[in-house]
Amino acid sequence: MRIWILVTVAALAAARDSAPAQSVSVMAQAIPVVTRADPTATRAALSEGYVSQPAVMAHGEWNWLRAVATLNLEGLTLARGELSTGANGEGFVDRRHPHTYAHELLAGAQASVVGVVGSMFAGRGFAPFGSDDPMVRPFEKYPVNHHLSQVLERVVAIGALRRGPAIVEVGTFNGDEPVSPSSAPHFSRFGDSWAARGTVLPVSGLELSASAASVKSPEVAAGSGVDQRKASVVARFERVGMSDWRYAMAEWARTDERAAGRLTTRLGSWLGEAAACRAGVIAAARLERTDRPEEEAQTDPFRTPRPPIDLSNLGVSRWTTLTLSLSSPALLWRFLSGRPFVEVARIAAAPGDPPGLFDANRRYGARRMWMLSAGVRLRSGAMHARMGRYGVAAPDGGMTMPMPMPMPMGTDSVAGESHMMQMHQPTSSANPCIL
Amino acid sequence: MHSLTARRGFAAVTLSALLCACGNDSTAPSGSGPNTSAVCPGINLGPAPSRLTLPPGAPATMAILGNGLDTVRYQAEVAARGTIAYTTSWGVRRVQGNKVSIWDVSGNVPVLIDSLILNGATTTGDIAVSDDGRLLVVATERAPGSIFVYDLTNPRKPALLSVYSTGNTNPGVHTAEVGRVNGKLYAFLSIDPVGTIPARLVTVDLSAPASPAEVFTKVIGNPYVHDTFVRNGLLFLALWNDGVQIWDIGGCGTGASPESPKVLGTVKTLGGDVHNIWWYNDPNGSKRFAFVGQEGFGVVGSQSSGDIHVIDLSDLSAPKEVAFYSVPGAGTHNFSVDETNGVLYAAYYNGGVRAIDVRGDLGTCDASQRALDASSNLSRCDLRLMGRELATGISNLAKPVYVWGVQYLNGSVYASDMLNGIWKLGAVK
Repeated sequence: MRIWILVTVAALAAARDSAPAQSVSVMAQAIPVVTRADPTATRAALSEGYVSQPAVMAHGEWNWLRAVATLNLEGLTLARGELSTGANGEGFVDRRHPHTYAHELLAGAQASVVGVVGSMFAGRGFAPFGSDDPMVRPFEKYPVNHHLSQVLERVVAIGALRRGPAIVEVGTFNGDEPVSPSSAPHFSRFGDSWAARGTVLPVSGLELSASAASVKSPEVAAGSGVDQRKASVVARFERVGMSDWRYAMAEWARTDERAAGRLTTRLGSWLGEAAACRAGVIAAARLERTDRPEEEAQTDPFRTPRPPIDLSNLGVSRWTTLTLSLSSPALLWRFLSGRPFVEVARIAAAPGDPPGLFDANRRYGARRMWMLSAGVRLRSGAMHARMGRYGVAAPDGGMTMPMPMPMPMGTDSVAGESHMMQMHQPTSSANPCIL
Repeated sequence: MHSLTARRGFAAVTLSALLCACGNDSTAPSGSGPNTSAVCPGINLGPAPSRLTLPPGAPATMAILGNGLDTVRYQAEVAARGTIAYTTSWGVRRVQGNKVSIWDVSGNVPVLIDSLILNGATTTGDIAVSDDGRLLVVATERAPGSIFVYDLTNPRKPALLSVYSTGNTNPGVHTAEVGRVNGKLYAFLSIDPVGTIPARLVTVDLSAPASPAEVFTKVIGNPYVHDTFVRNGLLFLALWNDGVQIWDIGGCGTGASPESPKVLGTVKTLGGDVHNIWWYNDPNGSKRFAFVGQEGFGVVGSQSSGDIHVIDLSDLSAPKEVAFYSVPGAGTHNFSVDETNGVLYAAYYNGGVRAIDVRGDLGTCDASQRALDASSNLSRCDLRLMGRELATGISNLAKPVYVWGVQYLNGSVYASDMLNGIWKLGAVK
């Protein structure tokens, strides 16, 4: 599973064997998917199809310099959001919002001094908080807790230190979340929020982390909205064999919303997910229970006002969702791989604490709902393995890929004789979980 | 959320001391003669109100006269005139809040007699009746945002005159206060922010109600402008964390107008979240105090927070906060004042309705009646400790209430309850 593709760009004038370490990786992906939700916010069954998660990722290194970029094109393919009953955030409800075009754009530096390696990254990206972005996890549908467990698309400055099995990250950023795919952050708010994460790697493949964050007025870009205090504990396991792959993650996350320094709403989440691959077939399961703040509904039942009209909400709902996913072995065509999948989710919505006005029967016409999705993961190139960690904070260097990676081994993805590809970690092209 | 102006003109705004019902309560002014300022020579703030000494006592319970139940939509604001009350609707309950209910309130129990459906609205949050009773103005949210203007020749059957919607009303008109300035009728629209587009105020000339016309607009509010209050040529703006700002729009006699307003002063009340305002003109001619509603965090239907703040306007260029009223476990929303009798009625969401004695000097009290806010080092009189909490209404029912708006009218108080429709209560004696 652990494939690390380094495309050394030797065209940089200097002789290859005398040039400093340098590498570039590029990946493109798109997931054509059809989803049927029964029922959903329309109080009826709804089926939709679109291209989800269209993205181009790039990662470069030159000596001690680093660069990370992710161009996310969901603003073009998912402007109305992706049907996902229970999801919420950034003005969408029961649909996952489209991410910003400039999903990640960071530059950094990495160095080592007396056994301690450190890195410093700045740009737009993830704050050092919570678990990996769902885009690099085994399910197509994002969990309900996305906005409780990740803080993303902010202007960040993150310092990280690693010594042996211990990693510490500290970052500061702007609290305001994006208001549209093309929206720029409020640079004037840079530094009004912070996050910190500690990680230990006790044994190979196991990772334990705890993080905290203070996010200033995320939903009112101009400021003065409710603030958030966030906490997260994550245990993550991954092991790649010669012909198989196993993964598991458990997380607890909590977000306290505060107005004028006083706790107003507490939102909690438990999530466990696991996946295994054998003979190229990936089976995965996820169970989560997550609190969702209810907001004023609009004429479009999938939208909520951004910014909200005042500090109030309509109460809290509690979502318990079991998701099962099955992916077939990947199909290869030149540099492109396609891995068909199906996902089914059983969803239960109940009043949370406080319940406010939430009534699942009134809102959805049912308290238990289904969601069925089918699609194909199309990929070419190497995905960022650990989306949400930069530099030395990525336990394996940040360029490995937990999900099956489609780049056919031994094929130079970049034309020209001056490009060289290296494969790191299990270099098993025979592993059908790796492709 | 919130209309207050509708009640002006008929909410017992009797300015003559001859009608004062409090002659034995030592509220007579301590001074006489004009009390104007260089910054606003046209406004006479009147005599300084006298200090009252009120006996302590438990608040009374306002009598419930009747309830007009509505569980199909969430109720929003209320405006009443004569024997008719209008209530708006909010958000989505069983159906969208695109309706104005028309209630006959001549009896104890409000009776629904008709309704207006406002196409395209998710919320018909605010409603106001003009001072002459001729027009009904309804604000709509969300996009594109508008005001619907109705003719009230037959108040039981309002007739649509116009729908005013422009790029500047997008994404929604949160409140539309209606007031007359130097003889001309205006609506002051508080516009919601959306995305990166900030909140703004839009002033509309309603002198030709079939064709309203924008005469002024300004981006304002941090991050919201939620409401305004217009009276005697002054406009009070509720600017959330930017506090209360007072504009001369023609009352000071210095050339300002609704088309060309001039800022007089600003005060940031404790805690911010400034949501609504009422400038109190007492029967003795004193105009020293304004009441400010703070809309803190709430869970619609069950929780709310936010106090009533009293600001002293003796210096219009530098108003200051002098007193407050707080209800544990509940927060205030819209106000209506029985100015003849000096009673402020405040909607208090899950706390029902509160009636507060606002006669006399609110900014002077004993040390035992004061509270010091340590963070700001601001010492204020606590109206509750001053014995000014007169009564509560629908606060101890078997079922939950969530009161959005109130209006005092002719000895009754009408309360719009998001969960239960409209209540008719007996006013404080």
